Amino acid sequence: MKAFLGRLPGSGRAALAVVLGLWIVAAFAPAASRTASAIRLEARLLPPSASHPFGTDDLGRDLLARVVAATPISLAIGLTAAAVSLLVGFAVGGVSGYLGGLVDLLLSRVVEVVLCFPVLFLLLALAAFLPPSPSAVVLAIGLTTWPGDARYARAEILKAKSLDYTRAARAAGASTPRILVRHLLPNVLAPLIVSAAFGVAWAILAEAALSFLGVGLPPPASSWGGILSAAPAYIEEAWWMALFPGLALFLTVSAYNLLAEGLRRASTERGGYR
Amino acid sequence: MTRYIARRLLLAVPTLAGIVVLVFLLLHLAPGSPVSAMGGESGRRVSGRAAQEMRRLYGLDRPLTERFVKWVGRVARFDLGESFVDRRPVSERLREALPYTLELNGLALLLTLAIAIPLGVEAGGHPESAFDRISGAALFALYSTPSFWAALLLQTLFSVKWKWLPLYGVASDPAPSGLAGLADRLAHLILPVACLTYGSLAFYARLVRAGVAEARTADYVLAARARGLSRREALWKHAFRNALLPLITLLGLVLPGLLSGSVIIERIFAWPGLGRLYFDSILSRDYPVVLALSLVGAVATLAVTLAADVAYAVADPRVRDGTGP
Repeated sequence: MKAFLGRLPGSGRAALAVVLGLWIVAAFAPAASRTASAIRLEARLLPPSASHPFGTDDLGRDLLARVVAATPISLAIGLTAAAVSLLVGFAVGGVSGYLGGLVDLLLSRVVEVVLCFPVLFLLLALAAFLPPSPSAVVLAIGLTTWPGDARYARAEILKAKSLDYTRAARAAGASTPRILVRHLLPNVLAPLIVSAAFGVAWAILAEAALSFLGVGLPPPASSWGGILSAAPAYIEEAWWMALFPGLALFLTVSAYNLLAEGLRRASTERGGYR
Repeated sequence: MTRYIARRLLLAVPTLAGIVVLVFLLLHLAPGSPVSAMGGESGRRVSGRAAQEMRRLYGLDRPLTERFVKWVGRVARFDLGESFVDRRPVSERLREALPYTLELNGLALLLTLAIAIPLGVEAGGHPESAFDRISGAALFALYSTPSFWAALLLQTLFSVKWKWLPLYGVASDPAPSGLAGLADRLAHLILPVACLTYGSLAFYARLVRAGVAEARTADYVLAARARGLSRREALWKHAFRNALLPLITLLGLVLPGLLSGSVIIERIFAWPGLGRLYFDSILSRDYPVVLALSLVGAVATLAVTLAADVAYAVADPRVRDGTGP
């Protein structure tokens, strides 16, 4: 792992620092949540100033406090949704690639079916029709994005399966579970980590889009996308309502993307995974 | 090649069936019905008898399998049913919204390719050059920018602050006539097209760049250079054309991407296209419209994917003769 990080390009290390920094910000969320929910109508729509660095929203709440308070929610939903997608995707793709034959043919059709739908169509339908809750949002994102991970995992397993040591292990009489866990899993670990990092970026973006459209997290929980959803109504008078929550979102998404890209390069340089 | 195409077509049959089943199940197993959505919206509770009457009217009291068989039978005859909201045929509502989405996405796609291809060829032709690094970083930043945030910022700058462009809508009301009307419509297109374009730019530019960077050192490109072609000619006529080939198979994925992007952008810019129609129908639980749009979107994607695979087989001799991957 240490050697892996050592190979990370400079941009990737900077991204890793930002990602860690975001989790530190998230630790301050409980402290910020009181200020974040304090409604003061006499202080509504105030532009950024020393006392309100990000300005205030339509209900007079401090936007900086709101953005900080929303950090752990946005991050946690991104991480768990990416985990669901990765778990389903690598399970389906792994089984499909390892077993081959009829199973592969069938599972590949399932993947193809889901890929035919516009992601946002499925996402909206699931998010709007499941009873509103954070876990519904996580499920909706995870269940719509796994086919990408499945295709990726299938290709990686197919590649690793034909390598000499796997065939040697099989010839030596190793059982299927043993081959899967001891020989194939370590080989797809690097692509899995890369996939996970890209997946987190995507999931955070997806959650923000859902909450922005009003079918994401139910109130009182609020994510960056949820804060942004109030911005269009005040576009003529309060640009800060759009700028700052979106900036947090942009920073997070690009940090995870950059980290993923760095990890991908680091793992490719080692021995050419991709 | 005939065998390859036949196999591909045959495999599409279960996929098509899967699409139909998934669309139907997704909506009909969902809790909540248009009846409850109507009651919820008007702020009053629908009485038990009235709700029952409505369920009967819309056929929601029948068993799931019966509704599925009926629905498939109608869809097979291209009858997409009536909208719950205004009782008009669904196909009519789709036909009304389609031109708006085509206009928006067609322009965005053209613009994307017009920028992404030269960018990708130039960057791929000189990997690790200053141009490659700078364009790569810029595309990466654009790729990580949420479209709805970009839309809000562009509206703030161009519509609110500088008042150069309209905030949203398709045309001014009342719309000016003649040449001024055309200019007015174009002005309304600029921001939504810009938002749809910048996001997909990185995707295409990176694909072209990767293909050209790989083909750059191939023997046939070196041979072209040896025959006296300029660097530019060798890149465009040989490296790019070969890099284009794998791009064909990705064409199928363009469509769902465009429709997804349309949902958000059409909502922000109050654009009466398919994305907006889908979103509104989800909120009002207008099942027939949601079903029809998902189905049409997915089937169109499948069709384009198939056409792309066939085109790839025709274009690539290795696939055509069954000697390659």
